[in-house]
Amino acid sequence: MKLPYEKPVINKLQSGLMNKFGRSPAYARRVREHIEDVPIEDLVNEFGSPLYVYSEREIRRKHREMYSAFSTRYPNVVFGWSYKTNYLQAICAIMHQEGSIAEVVSQMEYEKARDFGIPGDQVIFNGPHKSPEILERAVSEGATINVDHLDEIYDLEQIAEKLGQTVRIGVRLNLDAGIYPQWSRFGFNLESGQAYDTVKRVSNGGKLEVAGLHCHIGTFITEPEGYANQVRKMVAFGYEIEDAFGFSMEYIDIGGGFPSWNRLKSSYLAADIAVPPIDEFAEEATRALTNSLRPGDFPKLILESGRALVDDAGYLVSTLVAAKRLPDGTRAYVLDAGVNLLYTSYWYKFNIDIDREVNGINENSVIYGPLCMNIDVVDEGVLLPPLSRGTRLTFSPIGAYNNTQWMQFIEYRPNCVLIGPDGQVEVIREAEDLSDIQRRERLPERLGLGG
Amino acid sequence: MKDHFKAIFCSYAEIFFFQSGWLGALIFVMTLVNPFVALCGILSVLAAYLFARFIRMETVYLESGYYTYNPLLVGLSLGYILDVTPLMAFFVISAGILAFMSTILMANIFTTYLSLPILSLPFVVCSSLTYLASRRYSNLLVAWESRPSYTPKFLSDLFSHLPIWLTGYFESFGAILFLPSVLVGLVFSGLVLGYSRILFFLSVLGYYVGTGVRALLLGSSEQAFGDIASFNFILIAMAVGGVFLIPSPRSYLIATVAVVVSILILDSIEVFMSYYTIPAFTLPFNIASLGFIYVLGLLKYAGIAQYVGATPEETLENHLADKLRYHGEQQRTLHLPFSGPWTVWQGFDSGWTHKAKYKYAYDFVIADEEGNNYRDAGENLEDFYCFDRPVLSPIRGRVIRIINNLPDNPIGQVDEANNWGNLVILEDPRGFHVEISHLVHESIEVNEGDWVERGTILGRCGNSGYSPQPHLHIQVQASDKIGAETLPFSFVSFIDGNSYFANDLPDEKKTIEPLFIDKRLDSVTTFLLDDVLKFEVLQDGELIDVLEVEVKNALDGTFYFESSQGRLYFGKHEGTFYFYRVEGRDRWLPLLFLALPRLPLAHKPGMSWSDFVPVGLTTTGFQRVMARFASAFLPDFARVQVNQKFRTSNVVEAVIRPGTLQLERKAEVTLDTKLGLASVKIDNTELRRKKDEE
Repeated sequence: MKLPYEKPVINKLQSGLMNKFGRSPAYARRVREHIEDVPIEDLVNEFGSPLYVYSEREIRRKHREMYSAFSTRYPNVVFGWSYKTNYLQAICAIMHQEGSIAEVVSQMEYEKARDFGIPGDQVIFNGPHKSPEILERAVSEGATINVDHLDEIYDLEQIAEKLGQTVRIGVRLNLDAGIYPQWSRFGFNLESGQAYDTVKRVSNGGKLEVAGLHCHIGTFITEPEGYANQVRKMVAFGYEIEDAFGFSMEYIDIGGGFPSWNRLKSSYLAADIAVPPIDEFAEEATRALTNSLRPGDFPKLILESGRALVDDAGYLVSTLVAAKRLPDGTRAYVLDAGVNLLYTSYWYKFNIDIDREVNGINENSVIYGPLCMNIDVVDEGVLLPPLSRGTRLTFSPIGAYNNTQWMQFIEYRPNCVLIGPDGQVEVIREAEDLSDIQRRERLPERLGLGG
Repeated sequence: MKDHFKAIFCSYAEIFFFQSGWLGALIFVMTLVNPFVALCGILSVLAAYLFARFIRMETVYLESGYYTYNPLLVGLSLGYILDVTPLMAFFVISAGILAFMSTILMANIFTTYLSLPILSLPFVVCSSLTYLASRRYSNLLVAWESRPSYTPKFLSDLFSHLPIWLTGYFESFGAILFLPSVLVGLVFSGLVLGYSRILFFLSVLGYYVGTGVRALLLGSSEQAFGDIASFNFILIAMAVGGVFLIPSPRSYLIATVAVVVSILILDSIEVFMSYYTIPAFTLPFNIASLGFIYVLGLLKYAGIAQYVGATPEETLENHLADKLRYHGEQQRTLHLPFSGPWTVWQGFDSGWTHKAKYKYAYDFVIADEEGNNYRDAGENLEDFYCFDRPVLSPIRGRVIRIINNLPDNPIGQVDEANNWGNLVILEDPRGFHVEISHLVHESIEVNEGDWVERGTILGRCGNSGYSPQPHLHIQVQASDKIGAETLPFSFVSFIDGNSYFANDLPDEKKTIEPLFIDKRLDSVTTFLLDDVLKFEVLQDGELIDVLEVEVKNALDGTFYFESSQGRLYFGKHEGTFYFYRVEGRDRWLPLLFLALPRLPLAHKPGMSWSDFVPVGLTTTGFQRVMARFASAFLPDFARVQVNQKFRTSNVVEAVIRPGTLQLERKAEVTLDTKLGLASVKIDNTELRRKKDEE
C-alpha cells in the first residue's frame, strides 16, 4: 500500500518521560470505540455525523448519586431541573421521572415545562426577565416565583390585587460566600441590607408573602465551603425575617453551580483532581444547614442543578474532514462540528477521543470546526497522533449547555440520539433541513426570483 | 324537653343494644300492652332520671340511657308482679332509685377494676332484692289469675295454632321486657330485624341452640320452649356475637358456646332461686356474657371490638376498613432514622440475626441501582455508601445512654465482645425505648440526658460492634438496658418509589425514603375548633343543596365536622391527615370521606397511595344491607379501595374500587390555598367551597 505523502517536520520528542499525572505526552491517547457498548461507527452510519449522543443510564446514575448525596444528609430535599442546561424533551423527561421538578428562567421555558405536562406548582420560576403576562399565568398556576428585582415586586403586587389573592414569593439574594467572582447582578444584596429592606417593603405592601429564599453563588464552583457559607447566611437571614415579619420560610433554594467532570480552560489540573466529588458539596452544605436550623425545623432544601446532572452523560461524535499543516508547522484538523455545536468549548477543554488505535507519536494539534469563520476553533492545542480523514472524534463531557446554546449558523444542526438502558438507540431530536430554517421566513412577493 | 324524652326513651332502646330514641319510644308504646308493666317501668325510670338530675349528674352521661335502663328493667319486673295502688308507686320509685344507685356504684367498680360494662347486673340484684322484700308486702302483690290477657282474642286464637318452638321464641323475646306475649315478641324481633340483621340472626341462633340443647338435657322440648327464661340465650348471643365481639363466623361460634354454657348457669340458678320464689332474671346472661368477654380480653383475643358502633354492622364495617387501613403497630410508631433513600437489609424475624427476643429490629444500608452497597472494590469502609451518613432521631425523646468509643471494624470482621457497637438509647415518653447501633467511632453528637426532636442528628452510620459491613440497626425495647428484649413497632411514613405508606413495615430489599411534613399541607389541614366551612352542592353544575360544617371536639378528644345531619371524624396522626368515620344521615359528609380518606402531609410529584373506606360509604338500601351482613362471613364484600394520587401539589385524584357488585368511581379533591378543601368532585356531584365575603 502506498502511504500518503506528508511534508516532513521536526518535533521535540519527550521520550518516555511521564508528566506528574502519570501520562506520557508522547504516546498517551484516548481511544473510544463505543458509547455505552454501542459502536460509534454504527451510530454514525445510522444517524450521521456530527451526532449528539446521550446516555440515559448515566443521567439516571448521576441523578440518583446526587439525590442520595444530599437527601441522605438532609431530610427534605427537592431537585429543580435547570431547563436552560438542556431542554431536549427526552432529557427533561428523564429528570422528571427521577423526581426533579422544573426550574425555568423565561417565558419560553415556562411554557415549555407547562406544555410538557409539568403542573404549575412544580415549576420554579427564576430569572431577571418575567413579563407581567407570564408572571400572572405563573401566579395563577401556583408556580414558585423567586423575585429578582423591585420592579418585579411591583408587578406581582398588581397581579395580587387583580387576582384578589395573596401571592407567595421567594426572594433572590446575592451574598458573599467567599467565592470569586461574587455574583451580584441577580437578586438583592444581603450584606448591604438591600434584601432586608426589600422584605420589609413586601411586608408593608401586604399583598405578597415571603415563603422562601433563593440564592445562586456562581457557576462551576469547585470550593464546597462556599455552599456552607451561603447556607449559613441564608438560614440566618430566613430566621431574621421570620422573627421580624412573621413569614414562614418553607424553602431554602441554594441554586446550582455544582461542577461536572469537565475541565475549565483556566484549570491546570485534570478534572478528577480539580473537582471535588459531589459528596463533599453535600456534606458541607447540609452540615451547615442542620447546624444553623432550629431543632425540628426542616424547610425544603431546593437545588437547581443542571450541569452536574447532565454534562457527563453527553457526547458529540464528529468526523475528521481534513488534515492540514499550518505555516508554523502546527498540525491542524478540520472537523464537521465546531463552535456552532460546542458552545461550551469557549470555556472548557474537552476530552477528545479517537475511534481507533493509531501509530505514531503525539503532536500538538489544533481542532477547527466546519465554519468559514476564523473563530471556529474547538481546541487550540491537543496532543494527538497523526490522524487521517474519516477518523471519528468524540468530545465529552458536552451534555450541558450545548444543545441549548447551539447555533444554526452556516451548517444544519444534526441528530441527537439517546442510548436507552437496554442499549436501544433512539433519535430525540431530528437533524434539521432547509425547511426548518426557512419555515418562518416571509419573502415579499416583489422580491421573488424567477416567479 | 326533647332531651329529657330522648334520655328516657334511650333507656328502653339500650335493652336491645339500640342507640335510638325513636326505637325506644316504640318499645315504650309496646309495653302498654300490659299497662301495669308499662306504668311501673316508666315510673321507675322517671324516678331514677329525676333523682339523677336532682343530684346534678351531668346530662351528657344521662342522654344515652346507659345509667337508666337498669332502673327501667327493675320497674318492668315489678309491674309484672305488683298491683296498682298508691303504695305500689312508692315501692317502685324506691326501687328505681336503688337501681340507679347500684348502677353507678357497680359501673364504677366494673369499669375501674375489670374494664367491663355492667350489662343488667344491677337489675338482677335490685329486682331480686325487691322481689324478696315484696314477700312481706303481700297486699301489694297481684293474684296472677286476676290479670286479664292483653292480646286480642283473634290473635291469641291465631297464635295458639302456632307450634310451641315458634311461640316460645317470640314469648321469650317479649319476656325481656316482662311482656311474655307472642304479639310483643313479634314486634320486638321485627324491630331488631329492622335495626340490625346481625342482631336478629344472632337472636335466632342463640335461642334455638340454647333451647335445643336444653331440651335434650331436660328431656322435654315442651319444658325447654315453654320456659320464657330462654330470653337469656337471645341476649347472650346478641351481646357476645354482635356487640362485644366483631361479627364473624368465629365470634358467632363463641357466642353459641357461651349460650350452651349458660344453660348450666340457668338451670342451677333456677333450682337455687326457686326456693326463694325469685326468677333467674338475666343473671345467666350477665354471668355468661361478662365471663366470656373478660376471659377473651385477658387473653388479648383479637376479635374484641375496639370501637363499638351503633349497630354490629357499623362495628364490623369500621373494623374491616380499619384492618385494611392501618397495618402496623399503632402505639410504638417511629420515623425512619435516616433521610433519603435507604434499602432494607433485614426486617422483623429475619433468619440471620433478628431472631427470638431480638426479632423486632430493622437493618438498613444504602444500595445503588445494581443493588450493591458499595462502590469500587468494597474493601474500605468509605466504599460503602451508607458509611458516615447521618443517623437521625426517629422520635421526640430523651437520650438515656450512649456508647461512643468502639472502633469501626474493617470490612468482613466483627466485634463479638461488644455486639451493639457504638449506640444511642432514647427514651420515648410514650413508654418505650429505641436503640440505634453500629455508629461510627466518636461520631455521636448528642449527650446522655439531652432532649432530642425528631430528625436531630444523633451520629453517623458506621461499622462498630457485631457488624461485618456498615449498616444501621434500629430496635424498640421495653427497658433502657443494652440487649433488652425487643418489642414490635412500625414506621410512621415512608415512600417506596412513588407509593406512600403510613404506619407500615417495609419488606426486605425495598428501597424506601422517609417523608418530612410539608409546612403548607400541614397548615391547610390544621382546623381550629369552631372553624366553619361552607360548601355548595352541585349536581351536573346545578346548585341542589348547601353543606355547612363546623369543627367540633368529641368527649374523647377526637375532632369532627358537624353538619346538621351528621358527624365526620378526622384527625392527624404523625404526618398523615385521616378521615376516620362518619356518623348520622348526612348525604354529603360521606363524599368527603370517600374522596379523601387520607392525605399525606408531604408532597412529591406524582406520589400515590391507597386506602380503604367502610362499605357503607359506597352503598345504599338493600345493597348496603346485604354487603354488611355478608361481610361478616366474606370480608371482601366490605372491601372498598380508594387509590389516590397527587396530580399537583393541591389536587388529589382518586379512583374508588369497590370489591364486589359495583362500578369504579372517580373523585377529585382540590385543596384550598389557606384551609381545608376547595372542591370535592365525585362522578357528577361537586361540593364547592363557598367563600365568605368579609
